[in-house]
Amino acid sequence: MNNKAGKGSLSVMPARRARLFAALAALWILLVLVLGAGWVMLLISQAHQISELQALTGSADSTVTAQWASTHRRVVGESAVFLLLLLAVSALLAWLYWRESLRARAMQAFFAAVTHELRTPLTSIRLQAEAIAEGDQRVELARRLLEDSNRLESQIDKTLELARIEGGGPLAEQSVPLQDWLRRTASAIAATHGARVDLQVEAAAGLPPVLADAAAVQMILRNLVENSVRHAQLERVQVGLHAQRRGEQVLLEYRDNGAGCAVRGPELGRLFGRGAASGGSGVGLYLVRALMERMGGRAEFHSSPGNGFRAELSFVASQEAPP
Amino acid sequence: MNGPAHLLVVEDEKNVGETLAERLQAAGYRVTLVATAARARQAWRTAAPQLALLDVGLPDGNGFDLAAELRAAVPQTAVVFLTAHGNPEERVRGLELGADDYLTKPFHFRELLLRIQNCLKRAQDLAEVPQEMRGVARIGRARVDFERFSAEVDGVSHALTHKECAVLRLLASRAGKAVSRDEILDKAWSADEFPTSRTVDNFIVRLRKLVEPDADEARVIRSIRGVGYLLTEVTHE
Repeated sequence: MNNKAGKGSLSVMPARRARLFAALAALWILLVLVLGAGWVMLLISQAHQISELQALTGSADSTVTAQWASTHRRVVGESAVFLLLLLAVSALLAWLYWRESLRARAMQAFFAAVTHELRTPLTSIRLQAEAIAEGDQRVELARRLLEDSNRLESQIDKTLELARIEGGGPLAEQSVPLQDWLRRTASAIAATHGARVDLQVEAAAGLPPVLADAAAVQMILRNLVENSVRHAQLERVQVGLHAQRRGEQVLLEYRDNGAGCAVRGPELGRLFGRGAASGGSGVGLYLVRALMERMGGRAEFHSSPGNGFRAELSFVASQEAPP
Repeated sequence: MNGPAHLLVVEDEKNVGETLAERLQAAGYRVTLVATAARARQAWRTAAPQLALLDVGLPDGNGFDLAAELRAAVPQTAVVFLTAHGNPEERVRGLELGADDYLTKPFHFRELLLRIQNCLKRAQDLAEVPQEMRGVARIGRARVDFERFSAEVDGVSHALTHKECAVLRLLASRAGKAVSRDEILDKAWSADEFPTSRTVDNFIVRLRKLVEPDADEARVIRSIRGVGYLLTEVTHE
């Protein structure tokens, strides 16, 4: 299951750009310090001049010295405001740099994870292909080849969808009859995992259609089922889908009987978040949440050790009849 | 070696593990396939394997920690890491932890077979300790048992990796004489590995931590500039 690590976006800061950023930040801080020191020296010099003027005129409240003192106070005030502004900009720069560093690290972890996710099925495909080339003609090898190619396809789809979503790509929202759609599509998704998934769909009678992008909902369900297969630690995982109306929304509850995990709900679904011992690229649940939000709905995840994984997907009910 | 060599394959990816096990069996090996670190521990307690193929990322731990445990429990077992993480840092970490080899996925099965054969051959060579090396040898502050792949320092026992053992054995067999880095590479590493002289230096640093009484001054394993290393003292108990 997805856990830990921070949320990020697809903006990457290459090492050269990061070094340039650090150099500019250092120059900026140096400039602030030099300006600060210059102002302090100017103020000291002014204070000396006022004292000398007072000594020359022999009176502390003469008009000239009063004007000098007023100018001095104004310069002090302006200097303080300007310095505070510079310090605030410096703090902002430092924060931006820190955030970019976090993003760069998250991206590095993401690419490592995606590479892992591509190399593993490739290894399996090569082993099967080599066996077939050497004369092994078992159907089991073909089944494994299909499973591995599905896995590769899914990983590539997820990566492309992530790039699309982060780039602000549009969704084709329409009125979707969830009840019928679930029975057809969810079963087909489960079928790609063969005997490893036992999926049951239950929908309340009179369920209204929902406003959704059918392809996005398909990806959501596919990611959830893959997540269950990967993390359930069972030979055959049982998945239940239950749809019901709740006010102006349609609530789709997804539940598996897997091992569950100790990660808190909000932590699940963070982009690039992966458990230390968990596989995956840290994208699946993030996409579920992002796609639901883009469709005007909401996704919440719950899991605890021994109690499996549960997702609550709230869709906006559609007033229009399905096309 | 009597009968087919026993290999322990620790791989959590079902398709990779099953196909690998089938193909290794077809190649004449006896294979135990497990998917978790916990099962791997059970497996080596039941029957010690001659070689373990370890995946680095496991659902209940990582292959590096498991390799260290295996080393301590069954020092004779050769360890080969199979991993989809091919970055140099991980490779170095794996080899420093005593892996006999490190193969990045996806790999050619024939290449894996070759590596397995080399590792088994090396493990067998190390298991055949010459008469003069048997028993306990005192090297610096360590009491080294080449047959058990272990070194006892200040009452604490340390498991030696196969390569540490090979390097130390070579130096001990030539005690008082300088051994070149090239010779160390030649004897302790196989032809299909590509270590550098720096690799030897790293192993020497680790061996010095075990045998040198004074960490700041290398007296037991001395560096001979431009040549290699010289073991100054070894006494058989």
